[in-house]
Amino acid sequence: MTINEMRDSIDGVQQALAERSYLADRGLATTVHLALKLGKPVLLEGEAGVGKTELAKVVADALGARLIRLQCYEGIDVAHALYDWAYARQMLYIRTLEATGDARQGEEVLDELFGPRFLERRPLLDAIACDDEVPPVLLIDEIDRADDEFEAFLLELLSDFQVTIPEIGTIKAERRPVVFLTSNRTRELHEALKRRCLYMWVEMPDLDREIAIVRARVPEAPERLAAQAAAFVHELRTLDLTKQPGIAETIDWTQALLALGQEEIEAGVVDLTLGSVLKFHEDIGRVRDADLQQIVERARSVADDTQIPAS
Amino acid sequence: MNAGDAVVRKLVTFGRILREAGVEVGPGRVQDALRALDEIDMRRRDEVYAALACTLIARRDDLEIFDRAFRAWFEKDPTRLGGKAPDMGIGIDERPQPPAAAPRPGDSEDPEDQDEEQEEPDVLAAYSADERLRERDFSTLTRTELLRLRALMDRLVRVLPTRPSRRLELAPNGFQIAPRETLRRAMRREGEPVERAFRRKKRVERRVVFLCDVSGSMEPYSRALVLFLQAAVSAGRKVEAFTFGTRLTRLTPYLGGYDPEASLQRASRAVPDWAGGTRIGDAFKAFNDLYGRRGLTRGSVVVIVSDGWERGDVSQLALEMARLRRRCHSIIWVNPLKGTEGYEPLAAGMAAALPYVDVFLPGHNLIALESLAEALRASGGRRSSVRPATLRSAA
Repeated sequence: MTINEMRDSIDGVQQALAERSYLADRGLATTVHLALKLGKPVLLEGEAGVGKTELAKVVADALGARLIRLQCYEGIDVAHALYDWAYARQMLYIRTLEATGDARQGEEVLDELFGPRFLERRPLLDAIACDDEVPPVLLIDEIDRADDEFEAFLLELLSDFQVTIPEIGTIKAERRPVVFLTSNRTRELHEALKRRCLYMWVEMPDLDREIAIVRARVPEAPERLAAQAAAFVHELRTLDLTKQPGIAETIDWTQALLALGQEEIEAGVVDLTLGSVLKFHEDIGRVRDADLQQIVERARSVADDTQIPAS
Repeated sequence: MNAGDAVVRKLVTFGRILREAGVEVGPGRVQDALRALDEIDMRRRDEVYAALACTLIARRDDLEIFDRAFRAWFEKDPTRLGGKAPDMGIGIDERPQPPAAAPRPGDSEDPEDQDEEQEEPDVLAAYSADERLRERDFSTLTRTELLRLRALMDRLVRVLPTRPSRRLELAPNGFQIAPRETLRRAMRREGEPVERAFRRKKRVERRVVFLCDVSGSMEPYSRALVLFLQAAVSAGRKVEAFTFGTRLTRLTPYLGGYDPEASLQRASRAVPDWAGGTRIGDAFKAFNDLYGRRGLTRGSVVVIVSDGWERGDVSQLALEMARLRRRCHSIIWVNPLKGTEGYEPLAAGMAAALPYVDVFLPGHNLIALESLAEALRASGGRRSSVRPATLRSAA
């Protein structure tokens, strides 16, 4: 699947993602299609574990592009995100030149010192200076963790896709990278940054889709097991939990059940493996209190009623 | 005149509808939406919906308004634009009371103006029981009190706690060599790094989260506090403000802006449960679930202003306090009743919450509130990993 085919139609996007076991609904596929077509970054928000980061990975794979990932954190700055000079190597290099009695002119040495050789590219510069055939996919993960100043800096970068390094000059992206930003909404992002992006709120999938996702991701799991596991997690989401299990948890859990040789879910094994689905002590307690047996029964009957979609 | 024009006109009007419903939609967005519509199959509802949503909307809270507007406008669904769109209270002229009429703490205000403001969008009608939905004017304080508060606000805004940043700054007494600066200085000495430069961790603001009880018993104190929350938020400080009574309201978005009076009015309109009952446990649970889980409290100082009168389940309050404490840097509890002589934390809620509180302060008057400023300044240091066993109480 080339970038052009994905640009051509929304069906193309949906299909390309599905081939890589990522089942996107029409809305998400439309947004990805528009992002490719309009050359705009996509801002993905949603609960943890709905597949925001995964989307970027799959799109990169579908395009045959390199995925460049920048994980944001509090206090991230240009030296971590864009570029830095390799000071230690520069120093050593100067000493070596002295020791070997290199007779070159100062200007020449200086150019070399502050040239590509001693430039340490960080993800953002990597994405811009990338000269691959296919433009890379740049994933800026958890942008809400970085501070405001960094956001302002990104703003500039995302509108021009060029950076200026005083010692070298301006580097401009030959082909614009496909940019995904993800946020967990720990804080509201700046309006100006949002304006440059397409916004997508990623929802938890409905039961049918989740079953399909589990089956696509864990193809070796029996149909019944996949359906029941998804139904069980859906039942869990209706309980009042500290952290609702995401799709990632459903997949993990199905794999765990499979590893234990289960064909169907049953209360005993569910109880033992609850730790793959729920990551908070209180939640596990709450689910046990809420009568595990009953939830399992409900999940089994729901799964039986659900027509298993053809994969 | 062609089909394209019709689409443009329709879209522009749609943008205006969204704007009237309180969604920020700039002209640039509408342009993006137009470009997006070019790229999709206009006959497919889901594609049109997604194309417009991802270009016109930028936050999740607006999606619901968008959804209603989309149905009303493009599908001519008669189920209207949904009650009232959230009214941020912009442009409504409601003069505050003249300062002469200032009630003292404890005074209840006219019962007459309670009823007329009962209409609220349905969304808010979830709670019932002892909740009195009404709006309050925060700004009925005497002039001297206000002046005093202003000074206090400025001080508070200046002393917010800090934490070490990951970034480094140049400092003569730093702990680490600063290569860039060292090299630069070495240039002056023919490449010999004679003078070394050092750097150390920069300190940046630590977030402060205020949880402010606005139930009946707390009302006069909360009003004063909301005043300086406004100062802190509008000064662009890392402050988040919430109020709780029977439900939780995030106040921060209403407190910004340059005009304190206008933002206070916006804020008072945003709080539906002003001077009602208290269910602290429920409110904290809502806070932990909605905001704590997203990491808002991580590393931040949480200031709770409440008298600890819990009408709900006390064990839930203890549970939620424990959750809160695990997720934040420290908890400061300001209790106005602590100022009265011979006070013992007898209110069941207060007693349940105390084990999780790092600093317990009185808050009955302005001087006591000043001690809050002190406590805040002092709270920037290292987090104590153990549950605070002995209670320090300043002032």
